[in-house]
Amino acid sequence: MAEEKIFGFEGKEPTVSRRGFVKWSSILGGTLAISGNVEGFVKSEATAAQKKAGEWIPASCWPDCGSKGFNKVYVEDGVIIRSGTDDTVPDNPDNPQLRSCPKGRANRQRILGPDRLKYPMKRKNWAPGGGKKDLRGRDEWERISWNEALDILASETKRIVKAYGNTAIYQPTTSGGMPYTEMARTLNLYGGYVSDWGSNSSGSWHFTGPVIGMPRGRDGTGEDMNDFMDLRKSDLVVLWGFNPAWSRMGMAMYELSQIKKAGAKFVTVDPLFNPTAAAMGVTSENWYPCRPATDHALVLGLMHTLLVEDDPKKNPLIRWDYLNKYTVGFDAEHMPENADKKENLKDYLLGTYDKTPKNAQWAGAICSIPPEKIKSLAREIAKTKNVALLMSPAPSRVNNADNWPQAIMTLAMMTGHIGTPGNVFGSDAGHGWLVQGRALLNGGTYIGWARNFPEFEPIPNPTAHTRVNCNELWNTIITKKYTASDGTKKDINLQMLYFARTGRMNQNPGAVKAIQAVRSVEFVVSQDSYFTTNCKFADLVLPITTQWERPGDVAPGYRGQILYTSQVLQPLFEAKDDVYVARELGARLGLDPERIQPYSKTQEVFNMVAASKIWDADANEYKHLVTITEDDIKKRGVKGAPQKGVLPIAEFQKKGIYHSDRKPDDKNRHIVLEDFINDPVKNKLDTPSGKLEIHCQKLADRVNSIGFSKIKPIPTYITPVEGYEDTFKDWNKKIKGDFPLQLLNFHPPRQAHTMFYNTPWLRESFDHLAMLNPLDAKTYGISEGDTLLVSSRHGRMLRNVTLTETIRPGVLAMGHGNWLDWDDELKLDKGGCVNILCGGIATGQGHQGWGSCNVKVEKWTGAPLPSDRTKPLSVVKLANVKGEGK
Amino acid sequence: MSGQIGFYFDASLCIGCKTCSVACKDKNSQPAGVNIRKIYEYGGGTWVEKDGYLMPSEVRTHFVSASCMHCEKPACVGVCPVSAITKRKSDGAVIIDRNKCIGCRSCEEACPYKAPSFDKSKDKMYKCDFCADLLAKGKNPVCVDACLQRCLKAGDMDELRKKYGAADALEPIPQTDTKPSVVFNKPDNFTKSSKAPGRIRNKTEI
Repeated sequence: MAEEKIFGFEGKEPTVSRRGFVKWSSILGGTLAISGNVEGFVKSEATAAQKKAGEWIPASCWPDCGSKGFNKVYVEDGVIIRSGTDDTVPDNPDNPQLRSCPKGRANRQRILGPDRLKYPMKRKNWAPGGGKKDLRGRDEWERISWNEALDILASETKRIVKAYGNTAIYQPTTSGGMPYTEMARTLNLYGGYVSDWGSNSSGSWHFTGPVIGMPRGRDGTGEDMNDFMDLRKSDLVVLWGFNPAWSRMGMAMYELSQIKKAGAKFVTVDPLFNPTAAAMGVTSENWYPCRPATDHALVLGLMHTLLVEDDPKKNPLIRWDYLNKYTVGFDAEHMPENADKKENLKDYLLGTYDKTPKNAQWAGAICSIPPEKIKSLAREIAKTKNVALLMSPAPSRVNNADNWPQAIMTLAMMTGHIGTPGNVFGSDAGHGWLVQGRALLNGGTYIGWARNFPEFEPIPNPTAHTRVNCNELWNTIITKKYTASDGTKKDINLQMLYFARTGRMNQNPGAVKAIQAVRSVEFVVSQDSYFTTNCKFADLVLPITTQWERPGDVAPGYRGQILYTSQVLQPLFEAKDDVYVARELGARLGLDPERIQPYSKTQEVFNMVAASKIWDADANEYKHLVTITEDDIKKRGVKGAPQKGVLPIAEFQKKGIYHSDRKPDDKNRHIVLEDFINDPVKNKLDTPSGKLEIHCQKLADRVNSIGFSKIKPIPTYITPVEGYEDTFKDWNKKIKGDFPLQLLNFHPPRQAHTMFYNTPWLRESFDHLAMLNPLDAKTYGISEGDTLLVSSRHGRMLRNVTLTETIRPGVLAMGHGNWLDWDDELKLDKGGCVNILCGGIATGQGHQGWGSCNVKVEKWTGAPLPSDRTKPLSVVKLANVKGEGK
Repeated sequence: MSGQIGFYFDASLCIGCKTCSVACKDKNSQPAGVNIRKIYEYGGGTWVEKDGYLMPSEVRTHFVSASCMHCEKPACVGVCPVSAITKRKSDGAVIIDRNKCIGCRSCEEACPYKAPSFDKSKDKMYKCDFCADLLAKGKNPVCVDACLQRCLKAGDMDELRKKYGAADALEPIPQTDTKPSVVFNKPDNFTKSSKAPGRIRNKTEI
């Protein structure tokens, strides 16, 4: 083993010693010049556990992706030797091991990377009030002490609140996967801050789903799905914009394979012939290469086909009993009270009043699928006994897609594929991971919200009513106007941006405007573990620990696993926990740090473990998961009470994972809307009609009151802003416009949003190229490997291209999450940040519409872009430190 | 029992997630650039216009995860000028002794699968050793137990062949005369088409 130890990412040395320093320098290699800073970074010791020879430590993998694998690291003499995964249970399809994805396997390389932020830093040309603000993103950096950094943070916060009030501070709602932003508590105690509203991940499912009567699902997102074992009863699976092989990996993909093994046929509706479809045996005949942002038109074409071909006696295709009993709004005879009888979906489909039948020809002209194929897909869905239509939220992350969940629900009810075994239509790939139903093990969450602590004092935001729409964010900073969630237009003056472990600059649409906006305000602070886009454009950067340097975490796996991870390393360099920043800033603002975080992180983890629950199906209640004795409490030095559970806390900690025990047809089945379908009178839905609303006035009133764009109460097709139609200058004459291609913007296998971008093993495994069909390449004179200049109405970027028949013609596919690398001279991005191309366009309910974006491509005539695998990591050179300056 | 260990790979389930490959890099603490378990994406297809609609024809893709094939007649053993590569008697694994290796890359040149991977920083050749340390403990190599789709297996070749057949080549892995210790299951949508021949799709990732 000696040789294997020489290279790599060994972790923290066990003692503060010269040897420790030498070893760190060799780990970090030639990329860092660290002489002269010995005392600055050899600061920590290995944990007591690590000093023992050879031990597996359950290690957190916290980035916000759906893989949810269980990870552990093998530590020998304080050195991390390698990573491992779940081997605590025998592996079988009903109770699979929770195996790591490649990101989890590479996490140690990321955590111990040479690009970790080491010290607090300030921008060289910063001064109170901002200094040379236009140098943000391209200035030099100076190392400062924590005290100086916190003093700057506190004095700028005070100055800005005094001058402009608390609504001058912006902080994003979510933060990069790790435990929720403690900074919010400090800012709330100090009078509040401005956050944002709108749905990013769940698209229009988040709001529309529950309003029309679809269940919220386990995660409250408006998306729900049957339990994974039930899906094995499906005869046909329609993969609709659904590629867990890239977006989720892990158990969702493995469970799809079980459905395949059980004999289901798979078809796919997607602009990309993706690895999920390939592995599920989809052929070209069963691939419906729908254009991005045209899914709604295709669904209407399917419905129209059923409507005109249905004959209750000779050719029954429509479940009229379903429509009549469980829905309102399909036809004039089944309308909600007070609704205009003419405004029913059937007459809209037939074109009774608008003289435009939404037939397969009409749909095909928009989604580019031949009418005969549309008809055959409609027949297949209607005639197959059990059908699961599985989709990601991607088709709903489209401008003007507010009615999309309603359209899918309607197709499900027309064909009767909901509420019974093996049947479900809905979005879930995003948030329930194909494993829906009540959590069988409950505690923590994957982002670590401490929701299980009644004693944790809630500190509400006094300015919570002031929130900007996520699409309008950057424009709001520039124009000082915003749209409130009730639709009113108001003034606002944002002057301080607090980025706590967030990718917002990189991940919000309209990144070109983000640069302009961020360079306009008086103060920008960013705290993170790496020199991310948000750090790069800040005035003040604070180095933050990763989860491996904290006292552990509790997080759910899928439905039936819970993870208890432990501390692996002492904090690296001068990195501190967010809680430290929150408390220290609080103290400097004259607040009580004890209110911000009333107990230690060790106590917090203990509380989370103690609060973890296991579902007892026989007793119909949650019970304690762990047994805790007086001795356990004393040994851990925490406050708590003994309790009786199903396993000792020490055993849970050592194993790091606990699985529920599932059996086919056990009491934990979950079928979406099963109770409602069984008894719609007793189990009325939470809608005005108590039924599923194909005509939903509440939805239309809500969306229309915001005023971004208008919708009807029924799911009509609305041409989306920057959809396929907008690639034409003249749609009727089919004359293409300046941006003739559509962008397909997907979750790439390499990254969890912006996280893992900086991981060499993953960079070389997934090159993250733009994908273009060879037919388009021929049109635009592009060859394999060329550097493309990709432009949209909102910005320009460079990306290398691969040519593949797996992407439909007319579409450029590119994954998201690459870090912005803005070239101020050329005014373009060299990093591959797709939000340079996407515009911040607010439509409907203010959800984010990444799926609708028009682009053009041309061969870049400048220097070719190097591959990501050879791109250096973002290691900061410090201007004021000998050996690190320029 | 043949006394020869080897791998079974099921291309009808693989999603190209590369967990096996990254797990291998991690297990062996390899620097980026050394890749002893390679994942190839292979596919083809074409688009055909009919009645004004462009539609796919024979568009397909599949993945193959391949490391050293631990051949019964390995091409690498004989070409090594310092006899650093041997075929282990106990289980037939092909092993490289890096104390002897002089980094001449002859084995890489000779291997029909280009399985050995050169580490420039150490001037040494690396290849799959079937996770000898895990094997000694009766465990699977790390790639097998890492596989998310459970489509990679290890075992005695007689048993693997009995269970899964004798196919020891699958595009783009060529048919050779080195008797590789591997069995492949082909993907569902596999097409050998003259109209739309296949090719390796992810050359920059290998």
